[in-house]
Amino acid sequence: MFGTPANEMIKNRNQNQKIKVSLGIAFTALSLISLGWIMQAYSIFDWESAFELGLQQGTFEGSELESLIARKEKGEAMADLIWPLPLTILAFVGLVGRKFYGWLSAMMVFSICIYFPLFYLFQQLGSDIQVALFAIVMWAIPSMIAIVALWSIRNHYFQYG
Amino acid sequence: MVEPNLFTWILLVFGMITLLPLIAAQTVLLRDPESRRAKDLIIGKGREWRDSTHRKSAIAFAWSDILLVLPLFIISSTTVLSGASWGYLLWIALGFICVYFSITFWVMERVTSVKYHGWFAYLTYYWGFFLYWGVGVIIYSFLQLSNMIF
Repeated sequence: MFGTPANEMIKNRNQNQKIKVSLGIAFTALSLISLGWIMQAYSIFDWESAFELGLQQGTFEGSELESLIARKEKGEAMADLIWPLPLTILAFVGLVGRKFYGWLSAMMVFSICIYFPLFYLFQQLGSDIQVALFAIVMWAIPSMIAIVALWSIRNHYFQYG
Repeated sequence: MVEPNLFTWILLVFGMITLLPLIAAQTVLLRDPESRRAKDLIIGKGREWRDSTHRKSAIAFAWSDILLVLPLFIISSTTVLSGASWGYLLWIALGFICVYFSITFWVMERVTSVKYHGWFAYLTYYWGFFLYWGVGVIIYSFLQLSNMIF
């Protein structure tokens, strides 16, 4: 009888700890992902400078093949800025405010960030795989871990609405 | 539990019509990217890969779709039909991925695709259906989840 409030306190403390750790994982993954969007934004702003810095692999001032690679990469960069970047901002804001839309946006950003490194990996197979592995380590793996972490605290966001 | 209704079935059938033929064509592509049949299905009758980047991108999209999009579509759709709420979450995830690659293709391939296949094909089965389906499932699933949550 007397143990019940104590048990309740321990349970709440464990729950709060779990929420903190899960959110920490999610925010770390979102921060890593944001670095990618910043990289893409910079590339759109000044493509050739981004190419010289090694952020992109194709240049519009090179051979026809390099120009084709640049066009493909620019497509990916544009898509990143139009779609997942606003979603990432929404995820940050929503998670901080304990809103369901934040939880959902974060999950969607993470699902996209599993898809595109996978695409990149298969595209680079047989050639320069280092960039693809970088994308897997920086974005796909943290995204997978963050999905599991956020899923484990879904009730916390559903109840807040 | 969210019981499937007419809209659920419409989206499911539309999704099957949109995604499954693409994945079937991509399976043919992965078996032999240089075969005439694969090239006819993926880039158009009698056409050739523009360069190795074009071929590699198509192969990469094919692997990603078969490893991620196909299982996600099957699991999410069966879960939605069973009435479990998390099926809608998976549908939203798939919808976001569809919109993501639609935007990528809009920038990368729009000019070439429209030139060879025309606007009608482009805005329907070549590109448009993926965008419409993606947007459709995001809105519909969000509304279904909202009814449950809010």
